[in-house]
Amino acid sequence: MSDLAQMSAGAVRGPAKRTGHGTQAMAGLALVALPMAMLLGLILWPTMRMIGATVTLEDRIGADRYVAFFGDAYSMANLRFTLEMSLISALTALALSFGIALYLRFSAGRIATMIHALSLFPLFVPSIIISYALVRFLGPNGLFQLLLEQIGITQYRTPYLTPVGPFLAFVWENLPLPVLVLSAGLTQVSDHAVEAARDLGARPLRILWEILLPQTRRSLLIAFALIFLGILGAYTVPYMLGPAAPEMMGVYMQRTLGNLQDPDSAQVQAVVLMAIASVVGGFYIATMLKSQGAER
Amino acid sequence: MLSRRQFMATTAAVATLSATRLVAQDRKTLQVFIDGDTNISDWWNNILKPAFEAAHPTHTFNVTITRGVADGNGTIAARALAAMQSQTDPQVDYFEEIEPASVAGSVEAGLWLEVTEANVPNLKMINPAAIQTPIRMPYRGSQVLIAYDSAKIPTPPKTFADLVAWAKANPGRFTYGRPDKGGSGSNFVIRAIHEANGQDPAAFTKDNFDAAKAEEMLQKGWAILKDLHPFTFGEGTYPAGNTPALQLLAQGAVDMIPAWSDQALQAIKTGVLPETVKVVQLQDLALCGGFAYSAIPANATDLEGALALANFMLSPESQTSCVRDIGGFPGISWDNLPAELKAEYIDVIPVSIPTFPSGDWQTAKNDGWYKNVATNIVRD
Repeated sequence: MSDLAQMSAGAVRGPAKRTGHGTQAMAGLALVALPMAMLLGLILWPTMRMIGATVTLEDRIGADRYVAFFGDAYSMANLRFTLEMSLISALTALALSFGIALYLRFSAGRIATMIHALSLFPLFVPSIIISYALVRFLGPNGLFQLLLEQIGITQYRTPYLTPVGPFLAFVWENLPLPVLVLSAGLTQVSDHAVEAARDLGARPLRILWEILLPQTRRSLLIAFALIFLGILGAYTVPYMLGPAAPEMMGVYMQRTLGNLQDPDSAQVQAVVLMAIASVVGGFYIATMLKSQGAER
Repeated sequence: MLSRRQFMATTAAVATLSATRLVAQDRKTLQVFIDGDTNISDWWNNILKPAFEAAHPTHTFNVTITRGVADGNGTIAARALAAMQSQTDPQVDYFEEIEPASVAGSVEAGLWLEVTEANVPNLKMINPAAIQTPIRMPYRGSQVLIAYDSAKIPTPPKTFADLVAWAKANPGRFTYGRPDKGGSGSNFVIRAIHEANGQDPAAFTKDNFDAAKAEEMLQKGWAILKDLHPFTFGEGTYPAGNTPALQLLAQGAVDMIPAWSDQALQAIKTGVLPETVKVVQLQDLALCGGFAYSAIPANATDLEGALALANFMLSPESQTSCVRDIGGFPGISWDNLPAELKAEYIDVIPVSIPTFPSGDWQTAKNDGWYKNVATNIVRD
């Protein structure tokens, strides 16, 4: 926990003076050589090749396939759906987990421990299980509908096979990670600051707005980037719970490659999604670097 | 020191072991490879194996499941081909299901044993609906049917037009799976395409695909399905496969779906679907289906045993078991099966088993469905 706390607050600091000379520096380089080689050889190189392949047409180089993708109403509807779904689900999960993290920060005792454990529970449940569970629970004539009918509510319309289905699963699935990152971030907020504000008569909302939010801004950004990227490339949840169309990009890509056997179009879809992911990823890295810089 | 009791126990164990070995050595073991679903491998192990052993005291078989491993039986067949070229033992005697043509070079190399009435006498009973070539033997089939809840629908539709009319009269009570995610939805979509093109499956062949012509023929099918779209479950949210569609029927969320014969019949038998669920085939033009083909590698070490197994599989007893135990269609014609079995399944016995070509037609059908039917994009 404490490592994570330091990571998310950007407080990880090596020894003040680096003593990396000669053999020690070589040892350090040797340690990163293998992961770097894997990164270059197994990720970056194939990625570059794939990007190259998407613009290599039969007789020339051109962006025709991208023009086709962006000109196709169906592909664009899928892309828009994917972005909206990722954004709304990630923000909802973030808001809920911030609430849980706040509660955990200022409470102690058995109930707090239980809530903490419960909020981490989804971390250990695979997507395929949560998808099936939600089909049985929220599906037509499922447990939830039966319970509602017991108390006289009969207008229930199942979210199964609608955009709400994957949304609920994404929110549930993505609670634990931000809870961990945000509770870590909140431990960095000093009790003194909060108490001082209270003594001066600040109300809870004001404390939230002026002390807690600014001081956990980085944790929030990091948590958001992590879950947004996870949802952006999701496959199982939208496949099992979502509507036939629009499709999320993960499902669309798989179908284009596997069923339509059209690797060219699937690669274009992958590059577009990757470009969006790298914007958010770059944002995440910038936040991390800035937080390290701030400590210097 | 061994105590007397321990000594006796050990001796007895050793004796039993050698006795079992002797029995096993008495029988020759055929190596059968299966890459089909669990229902198929369970059927072979639990029902067919004891029956085969009882009928053939000299033989037994060992089932190896290759489902989900590399290319399944295709990979084993490629190895058998390599073994043929290096004249070694292929270690396989029988493929439960294989498409010889899809194993590159195997047909040209003569890997597959020709089966005829001379070496497999029961072939004379073969189902005329199955397309048989000398190197592959159809032995079980399945077809997409309409499964419906008879408690709510006393008289099910018998034609495609009736089905569409019923679905429109009962909004939200009919659905079908996405065509790329399972054969039940796929073959329903194909049936609509057939309907729109003169109910003529012969209009679609592997070699007659032409993008412009296909677009025109498919558009007529999309018109039917687009028209049906708002009346399906959830106003056009289609379940993602065969099982999710069956699940909706089982949960009472819909009253009618297209379903694979074997999956539906087995689900009714095991209670997964309520017993009021019945199945029916459309009588104007049936939904598509197909047969599973077995084949024997010509270099198998025990050809005699493999042929005996092939003949056993086409016996009326095994074929009755195929209908009763896995809900499959028989590879031999219904006339050779008990009359009461035929009477019981009269509603689902197809007059014909239409097919739809693989390759370009399938791709155009699946993508076209997503872009024209499932989508809610308004087109101008």
